[in-house]
Formats: sequence, C-alpha cells, structure tokens
Amino acid sequence: MSAITAHHDDHAHSHEPSFAQQLRSNRLGLWLFFFSELFLFAALLVARFFLWGGARPELSQVLGLIATSVLLLSSFFVYRAESAMAHGDRKTFQSGMLIAAFLGTLFFIGVVFMEWNIFGLQGEIAGIELFGHLKPTDGVFGAVFYAMTGMHALHVLSGIIFLLIVWNNGRKGHFSSEEHWGVEAAALYWHYVDVIWVFFYPALYLIGTAG
Amino acid sequence: MRNRNHIINVTALVFIVTVPLYYLLRAIYALPQAASAEAVPIDQMFTGHFIAIAFLFSLIMVFMLYSAFVFRRKPGDDTDGPHIHSNTALEIIWTVVPTFVVLGFGIWGTVTLNDLVSAKENEMTIEVTGQQWSWSFAYPEQEGFSSPTLVLPVDQPVVLKMGSKDVLHSFWVPEFRVKQDLVPGQETTLRITPTEIGDYKVRCAEICGTAHSTMLADVQVVSAAEFDAFVEERTQAPVYAEMTPEERGEMWYTGGEADWASCAGCHSLDGTRLAGPSWLGLYGRTEELEDGTTITADDDYIRKSIFEPNAQIVATYAPAMPAVFVDTFAAKEAEILANEGIEIDIVDDLIAFIQTLEE
Amino acid sequence: MNTLSIWLTSAYVRGLIGQIIGTAVGFGFITAIRAVMGLDTSNIEPAVVFGALIGVPGSLLGAGVLTDWIKWIFGKKTPLRHGAPEGKPEWSRYINVDVNHKVIGIQYGFTSVLVLLIGGFFAVLFRIELAAPGMQYLTNDNFNTLFSAHGIIMIASILLGVGAMVNYLVPLMIGASDMAFPRLNAFSYWVGIPAVVLILSGMFVGGWDTGWVGYPPLSLRAPLGVQLFLLGFYINGLSSIAGSINLLVTVTTMRAKGMSLFRMPIFVWAAIAASIIQFTATQTVGMALLMVVTERTIGLNFFNPTTGGNPILYQHLFWFYSHPVVYVFILPGLGVISELLPVFSRKPLFGYKWIALSSLGIAFVGFLVWAHHMFTSGMNDALRIPFMISTMFVAIPTGVKFFSWMATMWEGKLSFETPMLFVLGSISVFLIGGVTGPILGTIPTDMHLHDSYWVVGHFHSTMFGGFVFPFFAAVYYWYPKISGKMYKESLGKLHFWLMTPAFWLMSLGQMRAGLLGMRRRIADYDPALGVETTQVLVTVAALVIGWSVLIMVYNLISSARSQKMAATNPWNSRSPEWQIPYPVPEFNYDAPFEVVGDPYDYGLDGSKYVQTIPMPAVGD
Ligand code: HEA
Ligand code: HEA
Ligand code: CUA
Ligand SMILES: [Cu+2]
Repeated sequence: MSAITAHHDDHAHSHEPSFAQQLRSNRLGLWLFFFSELFLFAALLVARFFLWGGARPELSQVLGLIATSVLLLSSFFVYRAESAMAHGDRKTFQSGMLIAAFLGTLFFIGVVFMEWNIFGLQGEIAGIELFGHLKPTDGVFGAVFYAMTGMHALHVLSGIIFLLIVWNNGRKGHFSSEEHWGVEAAALYWHYVDVIWVFFYPALYLIGTAG
Repeated sequence: MRNRNHIINVTALVFIVTVPLYYLLRAIYALPQAASAEAVPIDQMFTGHFIAIAFLFSLIMVFMLYSAFVFRRKPGDDTDGPHIHSNTALEIIWTVVPTFVVLGFGIWGTVTLNDLVSAKENEMTIEVTGQQWSWSFAYPEQEGFSSPTLVLPVDQPVVLKMGSKDVLHSFWVPEFRVKQDLVPGQETTLRITPTEIGDYKVRCAEICGTAHSTMLADVQVVSAAEFDAFVEERTQAPVYAEMTPEERGEMWYTGGEADWASCAGCHSLDGTRLAGPSWLGLYGRTEELEDGTTITADDDYIRKSIFEPNAQIVATYAPAMPAVFVDTFAAKEAEILANEGIEIDIVDDLIAFIQTLEE
Repeated sequence: MNTLSIWLTSAYVRGLIGQIIGTAVGFGFITAIRAVMGLDTSNIEPAVVFGALIGVPGSLLGAGVLTDWIKWIFGKKTPLRHGAPEGKPEWSRYINVDVNHKVIGIQYGFTSVLVLLIGGFFAVLFRIELAAPGMQYLTNDNFNTLFSAHGIIMIASILLGVGAMVNYLVPLMIGASDMAFPRLNAFSYWVGIPAVVLILSGMFVGGWDTGWVGYPPLSLRAPLGVQLFLLGFYINGLSSIAGSINLLVTVTTMRAKGMSLFRMPIFVWAAIAASIIQFTATQTVGMALLMVVTERTIGLNFFNPTTGGNPILYQHLFWFYSHPVVYVFILPGLGVISELLPVFSRKPLFGYKWIALSSLGIAFVGFLVWAHHMFTSGMNDALRIPFMISTMFVAIPTGVKFFSWMATMWEGKLSFETPMLFVLGSISVFLIGGVTGPILGTIPTDMHLHDSYWVVGHFHSTMFGGFVFPFFAAVYYWYPKISGKMYKESLGKLHFWLMTPAFWLMSLGQMRAGLLGMRRRIADYDPALGVETTQVLVTVAALVIGWSVLIMVYNLISSARSQKMAATNPWNSRSPEWQIPYPVPEFNYDAPFEVVGDPYDYGLDGSKYVQTIPMPAVGD
C-alpha cells in the first residue's frame, strides 16, 4: 500500500494556489461560463425561429443600426483600455473604460427607452421615427423581441456595472500591468456580450420578411 | 480448467433462467385485451422487447449472483483477486453486438410505425375535441352530429382529427394501444381500426388540471348495423312535442342535436366518478358540500346546480362546470317555442330523466 | 455562546430571515408601484413573483454568502476564512457559510437527505390516497400539488446529493487542496436553499397541478403556486451551473502531479461527464421556465395558441435539459459503483478506459434524444424516427458499464459489507430501469406506454438504481472518512434488506399498473382496470421504503455519537483519500502526493497508486 503520512507543518497558506495558477483557473472558468451562456442565447434564437419562422416584425432599421454600431464601437474602447492597463498606462485605461461604459449606456437607452414601447413615448427627427411600436403583448413578435433584447440588455447592464467597478478600482490604484485579472474579465465579458448581439441583430432586424 | 467450467456454468444458467423469467415477466407485465388492428403489431413488439428484457436481465443477474456466491471471499482470506485489466476482444463484442440489437429494434419500430400512421382505404373521419374535462366526438361524414360517446363500427378504419379547446389532453384507449396528444391551436391525427365489439373508455393521458383523473369518455365498438341505427337516431330531427319529458331529458343529457357541452362529459349514469357527481341515484340523495353542510338533491338543488354551478360544490369535486346553461337553455327553449309552438322547460326534463336513474 | 444561540444565528436562520425580508420588500415595492399607477392591486401575482425574486439575494445576503464579493466590488481584498466563525465551536462551521469543499459537501449531503425525506413524505401521502379507488382524504387539487411537489423536490434532492458526492470526493481524489473557486462553491450550495424554500412555499399559495414538467398552456392557467415552482426550479439551475463550472475547472487545473486523465479515480470521470451536461443544458430549461413566468406575469406570448404561440416550443426547450439531466442523476451514481466494485472484489476495474469514455458517450448521446418524451405530442414523423434511433443508442455505452462491472467481479474475492450490498442492489435495480427504457424508445410501444405508470416504474428504477442506491452506498462507504466512526453494520444490512425487495415490489407494481391502463398523475383510478391489489402492494412497499430510510438516518446519527474510532482505511482501498488518517486536514494533504501507478491495480504485487512527494526539510 502506498503511504501518505501526514506531515504536521503549519504552513497552511502554502496550500493556497499561486496567482498564476488561480489566473489559469479564472480564465478557464470564465470561458466555461461563456460557453454555458451560449445555450441560453441559443434557446432564445431557437424560440425566434420556431415562432417567427420566415417573418419578422416591423422595426426601426435606423435605430437598430445605430445601436449596433454604438455597441461595436464600445468594444474597441474596452480593448484599448485593457491593453493600456497591460502596458501600465492608467490614464488611457480609465478613459477607455468610461467611454465604453458610456456607449454601453447609450445602447441600453436605445433599446429600453426607444425601441421598447413601454413608456408610450413618441417623436421623430427629420421624418425618422425615434421610438418603436412593438409592445411586449403584441403576440409572438412582441414576446420574442422583448425576450431577446431584454435578456441581452440585462447582460449589457451587468457589463456596464462590471466596467464601472473595474474603472473605479483601477482609479484607486488597484491592478498592475502584470496582475489585472479584473480588467481582463470585464473586457472579455463585454466583448462576449457584443458578439452575442452580432447574432441577435440580424435575427431580429434582418432575416425574414417584415410585416 | 477452472475458469472454463465457470463460463460454461454461467452460460448455461443464463439460458436456463431466461425462459422462466420470460414467463414470470409476462405474468407481471400483463397487457389489456387487444381490440384494434393496431394492437397486433404493437403487441408483437412488446413480445420482442419482453424477450430482450428477460434475456438481458438474466444475463447480468446470473453473472452477478453467480460471482456473489462462487467468488465470495473466504473468511480469513485477505489476499487480492487475479490482476486482470481488460480484454479488447470482449470489449469490442459487447459494444458491437448491442449496437446491432438496438438497430434491429429501431428498424422494427420504424416499419411498424409506418404501418400505424399510413392512411387506410375508405377511412371514416371523426373529429375529437377535448376540453377541461370532457370529450366530444363529431361525425362530419354523417351530417356532422356530435356525441359524448365515441361509437365506432367494428372493422372500419377511422381517422381521428383531434383538437383541444384549452390545454393539452391525450387520447388513449388502452385496448387500442395507440395514444395521441390533443394540442390547442393544432390538429393532430390518430388512426384506429377497432376489431372487437365491446365497451371501452377513452382515458385522458396528459395532465390537464384539477379533474384530469376523471376525464373519461365511453367508447362503443358496434356492428355496422348498430352503427347505422345510431347514426339514424342522431341525425333524425327530433319533434320535441311528441316526446315524453324523460325522453327529452335523456336527449339533453347526451347533448342531443344541440351543441352545448353535454352533461355526459362530466356526469356518468352508472356511478362512475367523472369530473362531476354521477347521476345514478342522484334524485333525493343527500350530498355533502365542500363547506361540510349537507343538502338533499331535490328540484331546487338541481336547478340551482345547473344555473349557478359554482354555488354549491359537492365535497371532493372541483368547481369545474361552466356557468353557461342559463343562456343556452333559454335559447333552445325559445327556438322550440318558435318551431313547434310548445313551451318546455329543459331543467324539468332533466329532472324527470334523473328521477328514472334509481340505484 | 450556548448551542441554541449558535443555531439561532446560523446562516440557515439568517438566510431564511433574509429571504422573508427580501420577499416582503419586493412584494411591497410592486404593490406600491401598481397602486400608484392605478393598476388593480387585488392581482397579487406580479408582486409575489418579484418578491420571490428579491427574496433570493435577500437570503444570500442574510446568510453572508455575498460578503466577500461585495467587498471586492469596493476594491478590498479578502483572505479566505478557514475554520469556524470566530468564537464559535468547530461544529458551527456546518451551519454557517464555509468555503471548504468538505464542509460544503457535507452540507449538501445533509440537505439532500432532508429534502429526500420531505419529498418521500409527500409520496407516502399520495400513495395512501391511491391505495384504493375513490377519493379517500385528498382533494384532486391537493393530490396534484403533492405529486408535482414530490417530483421536483426529489429532483432537487438528487441534484443536492450529486453536489454532495462531487464536492466532497473530487478534490480529495485528485489531490487538490480545495475547489478552484471556494466562494463560488459556497454560493452554489447556498443558492439552492432559497430555491427549495420557494418550491415548498408554492404549495401554500394555491399549489400547482402541472407535474414537474410544467407544460403550458396548463402552467399558464395553474394557480399562483406554479410561479414559485418555476422560479424555484430556475434558481436551482443557477446552483447547478455554478457548481459544474467550478468542478470542471478544478479537475482541469488542480490535479496532483502525475495524475493524467486516465489515471484519475473513475468517479472523477463521472463527475466530469455530469458537469458537462449541467453547465450547458441547464440554461435552456432556465429560459423555458422564464418564458412561462414572463408570459404569466407580463403577458409575453410564447405558448398560448390563441394568439399565435406554440406550446410545443416549451417541450423542446424543457426536454433538451430534462432528458440529459437524468444522466446527471445517474453518472455520479454509476461512478460510485465503478469505484466501489474493485475495492470489494479485490480486482482491478475491468476496462477502465471504456468505462471512463462510456460516461462521456452517455453524456454526448444524451444530448441527441430529448424528443423521445414527445413521441405523442404531434411531432412530424420525419423527426420522430431519428429520435427513436438515437434513443436506442444510449443503451450501448450503458451496456459497456454493466458488462465491465460483471467482468470486474468475475473471479474476484467478493465481500458483502453494506456498501457492497447497495452496489449490487443498485446494479440490479438500475438494470431493470435501463432495460425498460428502449421499450419506451420505440415509438409503437411508447404509444401505449407514454404517460402511463410504466413510465413511473421506469424512472423510479433508473433513479433509485442510478442514484438512490449508489448514494446510500457512498454514504455508508465514506462514512468512516467523514465522521471517523463506523456505522452499525447490522442496521445497514437491515436497511438494505428492507429497501431492496420493497423497491422491487414498488417498481414492478407500477409498471404492471401502467401496462394495464393506469395513467400517470391521476388522483383516482378506475377499478375496472384490475389494478387494485397492485396499488395496495405499491403503497405498502412505499411505506417500507420510507421506514428503511428512517433506519439509515437513525444509524448515521447514532453511530456518529459512538466513542469507538473507525480504522483509517477500513476497506483497504488504494484511493488517496483513504491513505490519510481522520480527521482530514483543512487542505486535505499536508504533503502533496504524486501518482505513480494505476488506481485499481488490486492483485498486482508491489504496485502503488500514489506516494508522498518528500518535502524539503524545514529549519534545522
Ligand atoms: C436516472 C434517470 C433515467 C435514466 C438513466 C433513463 C434511461 C433511459 N430512458 Fe428514461 N426517463 C426518466 C429517467 C431516466 N431514464 C424519467 C424521469 C422519465 C420521465 C420523465 C417524465 O415524463 O416525467 C423518463 C422517460 C423516458 C421516456 C419517455 C417515456 C414517455 O413519457 O413516453 C423514454 C422514451 O424513450 C425513456 C427512455 C430511456 C432510455 C432508452 C434510457 C437508457 O439510457 C437506458 C439504457 C440502459 C440499458 C438499456 C440497460 C443496460 C444495457 C445493456 C445491458 C446493454 C444491452 C442492451 C440492449 C441491447 C437493449 N425514458
Ligand atoms: C429521486 C427521485 C424520486 C424518488 C426517490 C421517489 C420516491 C418515491 N416515489 Fe416518486 N416521483 C419522482 C421522483 C422520485 N420519486 C418524479 C420525478 C415523479 C414525477 C412527478 C410528475 O409526474 O410530475 C414521481 C412520481 C411518483 C408517482 C406518480 C405520481 C403520479 O403520476 O400520479 C408515484 C406513485 O406511486 C411515486 C411514488 C414514489 C414513492 C412511493 C417513493 C418512495 O420511494 C418514497 C419513500 C419515502 C421516503 C424516502 C421518505 C421517508 C420518510 C418518512 C415517511 C418520514 C416522514 C418525513 C418527514 C416528516 C420529513 N412517485
Ligand atoms: Cu384532459 Cu387530462
Ligand atoms: Cu429521456
């Protein structure tokens, strides 16, 4: 029989994983989480194709396009912020995070306050309508549209909060060019949420015939 | 060699045990009477599966119990067994052989299913509607009358076109073997050829709320002549003035030519518990209500139960009855007054009918 | 501090209070808003739903699971706390938030057994009603609520039991000091508590009559209780997802030196396969449940056919999880069987690699078969047939396990202590459960069997054989490791010899009733079916099973109080966790070990599985 005898040394803390090892675990954990969430978003896409088939509701194309571009642009700033931190450039990091959070908020407002017709707002600029018509109770169109944008908006919202927390901690001097897992995680999460939208946007706005 | 003997013993035992085990299983796993053409190929598949179950069960269990008895540790022996790791040939065999077996069952299932669902010649269409918690059957090829009992001519292939008014239900007559859900907003079909004259029951097999357990309907498989008589009776326009109140009552009970939810969907005449209390021996019976009080079923009680169905609920039943009969009865009474010039009271007819149902 | 006040300030009590406060806040908030907006406040459903949602973070805050994370948000670093809360005795760790995987594992285990007793108690209640035709003492609605709650509570119990085994065993088996994310681990456990509370409280606000599947449109019309059931189910899913990601990361990054994939104890493979299912499929059922909740609460219309919805969509999303999840139930159980058989047979595990890969095979094929629950739902035939074939294929990897077990026992030196009895019992019971699966998988026979008691018999034997029996085997087997004491062998054997025959009677009886025409989920049955005697026998069997489980509970509690310590390695196992004496140190192995051989080389002279890596001498 193999023998493992207990050594009673009291170096309990030597058992805690090193930063490098914990980083490896954290990265893997985050990616597994992303993979897991794919199934959530896939379920929504399945619902969309199951219930809408080849049809889609009448939506404001202009609003959709602008919101999408804003979101993609924010990803760029997050990327810039993260690489700035990796080079120890705290200033660029802070501005990048703030701009990204701001753009994310714009996207969020665009979806929740403009595309969603829940506050009954109306208005137009240069003949382009600013607010959507679809209500959550408008049959399967409303249901799927609100579920998909809503679930995504929830992720955007949590992403914004995440970015702001990281920005705040970075401002207070946390993170360094070697150790900035928090920044990396926030950035990855933000990119991930963007990529999801890259699939949602065509499914909602482009595929199928409107009407 | 010791090893060889063990293998021979066990192999022999497996086959010896399989046979009695199969008969034991058949005794436990009894099937109800087979009363449709569909039941024949399905029961053959059951037999095939039961043989496989008996064999596989005896295979593993004989090995296990044999090892348990023959290879048990002798007292005082604390040495280990032989160091045998794996055997590639064996592993390949027990992967490949089951693959072919299950493929065989898959193909058998496909072929059988194809038979079950393909359209038959001269099929008769019947429309089945389910709602919480009753059934109704319409005969579009026989002038579209509807009936709370499913009456089928023997040996006549029928295709059931099914729909639901509210939630999911499922059409199942165990003696016919086949089953199909009723999906609101969608038409589903089921094909049956009844082959045995007799009485059966449709049993709703999908949970559909409070009274799911009592969502039953009678099925009568009858000779062609009886079926014609049934159709004739149901399609003849009744002349109410010429009928006794009891006869009219029975007619209202079954739904008659009126298209209201028939009483028969929820109240049996033979004491069977459906969604509502049985009418057998109802008149004059003392009923215990939900709130613990008791009440005697007299004219007033019955009238009130029909017109305000949720006012007095008999204990252990759910308030399931729709409160629509004040209006539908009044409309029907007005129609008869206009057509035949007589004034009738449908509730009185029903009471008269109920009074005939003594225990 | 005296015992009572330690209990009263425990995380369970604080969590419950937090949940109640959170619920009240959420409820009040929505009621106030609705009142201000001039909406009808007599419809309390939206407020209840929101209250239930807020109650969950309330519970976590109350228990103190989120404390560290909240500090992180404000940039404070927090060291992991080890040991009992300050000034409290060691045992109070078990009723407070703790990050050690062994503590969490035991918490999972306790909760699992408690929840099993509650769910079993419901079963006993409605089984007594079913003993005779006619309504005895339950109303239809009570009956429906009881069996629905029984189903989902039992499933929660299984998931907790899986969590118990995986948490306690995997880090020990792979030589890790803890899980990769200890705080997340605590979160996974503690979030399960409000989930169970939600489900149970659903029974008191009208109950629900949808079964554990919650199919719309019925779940759209069911009483308020269904909302709490759906939310509880959903929250439980969060626990599964977090727990399984944690496990996968732990196994990937924290194995001991030399522990290559094919040298891990076989149970770890089972845990991996189960986690792969859990961290993916759970998301889809979560979405399906949320869809029903939103349809009921805010009118999003997914499933109501009168306005264009489609109830079948729900069934697809539901079964995409709920079929694979049955393999989550059994894979760890089958892992326990594979783990214990070599020890009690004194022979190597036959075909280790095939068994390991068959777990992955079951998990993988399990993803492709979900629609076999929907054969009669009105699906297109072109879809039914591929699902029939794929369903049949699950038999192949499962068969590999059975055959390998037989070969493991063959010519071994078998002994029959209680854990081994439960292993053999579970093989027999899972076998009958398994072989009654393909008959459901072929569509023509399923047309008769679907939604009948045959299905009930099938899944009780798979779940008992694949989870309950092996779980009990594991409890008895690792009991000396956990408690340092030995359970009472005589009571253990009594438990086995009562439960096994009773279980056989119950499941064969259920299958018989189903074939004869007994539908599932009925409060009352037609005596004309000729199943009256069968029903009585099933009820009697249920009572016997219940008693036998109580005997186990008694055995475990009373043995823990005995004075005599158990031997360090009573089963003479090669597994690393048995090489260290009781109590297991906080970080498991004070000196790390290295894998130098195969895990199950019983009978190979001089072979070793693990050996301690010599530590450089300190000091001197
Ligand atoms: C732990 C749980 C568990 C397990 C392991 C299984 C295993 C299997 N199940 Fe089961 N099942 C359930 C739990 C489980 N099931 C539950 C809970 C339900 C009902 C849900 C509800 O509606 O509430 C259900 C329902 C269910 C249905 C739907 C029935 C219906 O509602 O109409 C079907 C249909 O195909 C099915 C099939 C199978 C098959 C083919 C297997 C296979 O995995 C079995 C494989 C094993 C073997 C076959 C035995 C060993 C193999 C050999 C010895 C090799 C040789 C074998 C052959 C050649 C055949 N199950
Ligand atoms: C792990 C899963 C599991 C387990 C262990 C059990 C255990 C039991 N089950 Fe369960 N069952 C399910 C999972 C499980 N069940 C599921 C998923 C369903 C489907 C629900 C649905 O259709 O939606 C179901 C449905 C179901 C039905 C069908 C209901 C219906 O369709 O109408 C029946 C009927 O006989 C039944 C019976 C039993 C019995 C008698 C036990 C017995 O083994 C129970 C033994 C008793 C105990 C273990 C408790 C012992 C303790 C006491 C008695 C003391 C009292 C305790 C306290 C006061 C706390 N179960
Ligand atoms: Cu209709 Cu059950
Ligand atoms: Cu399944």
